[in-house]
Amino acid sequence: MADADEDVVQTPPTGQVEVDLSDETQDFRFLNHLNFISDTASPSIPKRGEKDFEPNPTEHQADVLSASRDAMHNALSFPRLHRPKTQIIAYYALGGYAAQAELDAQQDALQVKENQKPSESTQKKPPTDASKPPPKPVNISPDACVLVPIPKGQYFKTMGQADRKNRVWLLPEEALYLLERGSLDIRWPSTSDPDAVSIPMSLQAAYACFVGHGGLTLERFSVYTGLKRLGYSFLRAPGWSDEIEDTEEIAPASEPSPPKFHGPGLAGILGSLFKWIHDPRKTASTATGPIVGFGIHRHYMDVYRKLAIIPWYDPVTAPPSKLSDTTPPFRVVFHIYKPSTPFKKSAPPAPDFRVAVVSTRDQTTMPALPQLGALLESTPLDPPHGEKMQRMMYMRLRHGYRNVVMAVVDQGVVSYLRIADSAFGKEKLFETKGGPQGNKRGGRGPGGPNRSKKR
Amino acid sequence: MGRNAVVTLVIDIQPTPAYKLKWLQMATTVTSTEKPVSTQPAPAEARPRAPRPPRPNFRHIHRFPLPVTVHHVPPVIPHNPLSLISVALSYLTFLISPPRQEVYSAYFDSATSSVHVTDENAVKALWQMGFFGKGSLSRSEPSWLAREKKRRGLLGGKSSEEVTRQRREERRELKLERARMEKLAIEERLKAEAAARENGTTIDQDDQSTAADGTANDTATSTEKFSLRKAKEARMLETRNQAARKAAATDSTDQAEKSPNGKSVRFSPVVQKQEFLSNSPSSMKLPDSVVDNIEADEEPIFENEEHLQLSKEEAFFLSYSLGTLNIYDAPVKASQNQPNSIMSTTSLLKLLCNHSFNPSRDASAALQPDDPFMLSYVVYHHFRSLGWVVRSGVKFGTDYLLYNRGPVFSHAEFAVIVIPSYSHSYWTETEERKEYIAAKQTRSWWWLHCVNRVQAQVLKSLVVCYVEVPPPTASIDDIGALLGTYQVREFLVKRFVPNRMRD
Repeated sequence: MADADEDVVQTPPTGQVEVDLSDETQDFRFLNHLNFISDTASPSIPKRGEKDFEPNPTEHQADVLSASRDAMHNALSFPRLHRPKTQIIAYYALGGYAAQAELDAQQDALQVKENQKPSESTQKKPPTDASKPPPKPVNISPDACVLVPIPKGQYFKTMGQADRKNRVWLLPEEALYLLERGSLDIRWPSTSDPDAVSIPMSLQAAYACFVGHGGLTLERFSVYTGLKRLGYSFLRAPGWSDEIEDTEEIAPASEPSPPKFHGPGLAGILGSLFKWIHDPRKTASTATGPIVGFGIHRHYMDVYRKLAIIPWYDPVTAPPSKLSDTTPPFRVVFHIYKPSTPFKKSAPPAPDFRVAVVSTRDQTTMPALPQLGALLESTPLDPPHGEKMQRMMYMRLRHGYRNVVMAVVDQGVVSYLRIADSAFGKEKLFETKGGPQGNKRGGRGPGGPNRSKKR
Repeated sequence: MGRNAVVTLVIDIQPTPAYKLKWLQMATTVTSTEKPVSTQPAPAEARPRAPRPPRPNFRHIHRFPLPVTVHHVPPVIPHNPLSLISVALSYLTFLISPPRQEVYSAYFDSATSSVHVTDENAVKALWQMGFFGKGSLSRSEPSWLAREKKRRGLLGGKSSEEVTRQRREERRELKLERARMEKLAIEERLKAEAAARENGTTIDQDDQSTAADGTANDTATSTEKFSLRKAKEARMLETRNQAARKAAATDSTDQAEKSPNGKSVRFSPVVQKQEFLSNSPSSMKLPDSVVDNIEADEEPIFENEEHLQLSKEEAFFLSYSLGTLNIYDAPVKASQNQPNSIMSTTSLLKLLCNHSFNPSRDASAALQPDDPFMLSYVVYHHFRSLGWVVRSGVKFGTDYLLYNRGPVFSHAEFAVIVIPSYSHSYWTETEERKEYIAAKQTRSWWWLHCVNRVQAQVLKSLVVCYVEVPPPTASIDDIGALLGTYQVREFLVKRFVPNRMRD
């Protein structure tokens, strides 16, 4: 009890409070301030009030509670409609683009024949196209299985892949996401008669069809839909399909590279020569100690340099691993882009984050070093740069040299972890002058001026 | 004694930063409220400030990062031949009378599997130069003697433990006060509601509207919540009013304060934290150990019951790496004729490895490359050799905490957990070994999340440090070579909050 209040950690004052709103229960009274309910919405974002932590017999509290409940009911009772103007109709094409392309080719051929009969005047592009095998567009995934004949709306800026006929092909996760949010109406394929009324696909059917199709697991979909709703853009990473591993049996344990010894180097050799002059009674011995010896030390830096006998991993000189070195759950499956990053489907920039998705029920333990190491080495080197990083050692260490985001999905609950390869060995703390940035009593240098923490 | 003079002098030179002044002001306001019969209605800031005990100059006390003496060579200035002479002189003096490196002694205590240092000078030196060990009767710095003297009224100032206790008391009092205010507000509202009901009117419309849109910007005023700050303000106001009126109304507060809070108080930690940070002086008043310079020449009135306790890794580092510690196998007793023997480094390593198990392993057992001590020592040595001050992280559920220069200067930024890794092909040769390493290296996701959440809460960065374990070797004669077969790799694990990373 005595420790309980001390151990409540002091977080920074307002403005920097790290309140994770997603951890709290929704206060539905906010909904009253949204545009579609109240006619005159205040332009400002409503502030959060203070909480009651236990019931009291006042009517005021009961009123607040019922107001909140009413707001929720009000919001839920809002009619949601599919407006015919914005409705997007898609067709489920199980065979994917390849099958459809064949079908197209046949139809084209048929059409060409029909067209050729009456007249041979106007735009006769199809015959030339149909005669040769359709050049396979590079950017349509074989997993894409939903065809949108008339794509319109903002969603297709970041989703789907267009084919030559300007139809958009959606990947299973994209289709499922759009269907779930009510923006897409997927129809079952009607092979017999193209003009017949096609049957809309239910949500249950969509889940049954799409989850499990082309490597889409429920965990990956949870990650996709969760981040997509926050505005992130997605691309499937090359590590999406597990089949890469089939090309090569996973080596039981690769021979560890000879430990890189970050010893003295040339300057160090010269230094040791000087030290030998300084210190004729060479008592330093790493075999039985003391490592630093009994002699006269000229500087603490020399002492520290002598102490550096433990090899450490250097992410810069380490060779990048191939994708096939990674073991399946620990493999980058998504490249994601922040909402603020200008994203073009045709020419995607370098991803902001690389995400690996792990299901805790299949992989119950956190990765061992070979798995985690291979995962990080499969990402490009991203050393800390920038003026701020130059100044702040803690930031450099936190940023690391490579990084990856691991989404750990435990029965639908996603925890995201950013894992960075931070080389402490590259930051020689003893060389920095002036000691820690910031002050114990008030602010701290890196990571926010007013962070105060427990010792 | 000479050092003390220097300390005070340096403190006087240091300018008082603005936040310290602010803190002083706030401190005085708080103390003023504690005396209700103040005849002066003047603002509290005008009161004379209580002299703050001078803070010891930690920069001076802890100017040596390691308990190793360093002799700087006088600088050589090419155009000044005199400088050459001074260099030559310094060499000559070293040649004639080589300076002796101070070697401290300690003994291994098998009951606690730690190393004890009892000599006062050694305790002081090891703490001041590199923050090794902890006082057996103190939280961290061995301050028992000073606290005891303080308790008996022999010494002024405050030890860090007392500061903490005082801060806790203040906080508890404020919380009770806040609870009381809340209770009062609820009662008032109940009364008002009852009155409204009697009048036959519904509660005024404003109230309804605020209730309906309670989340709008006026919530803070409409709700009857009381923060610590408000409690404090209210208390101040109350006492001031009382003083102005000079009425004997104090009994009402007393009564109210005496009335125990029948309700259990549960507060949101978030709110509480904010209030503390923005207003409470206690948050700024981090424990600073004021007692540092115990007068060496002062006659000890009673025995110092405290000793310095070094962890296994610290002891081995001091002994093997720095050579500044001789470790005996048993405590020195006055009755003993022959002195205890100093343990050799090899036997010390073996002993510490055997004691890294609980219960300790049989002394005859062979050293394994993945003995817990080997792993923890490799990591300890790695970070020490880079200049970090490494201390136990057991408080926060990790293996180590990394301090920049030392705990008195700044909070630890990094918390380290150590996980072994068995990548070498030796470890996967047989099924038996595979099972063995699986048991050793696996950690569950839940465990990781727990550790990670705790570190986020205490504002530390979590470092997962994997140690590559080599295959077993026949001999441990060359400890340096043995340590060189390990490899460490650090990963920084942090919660990624997509909401906050959007731009």
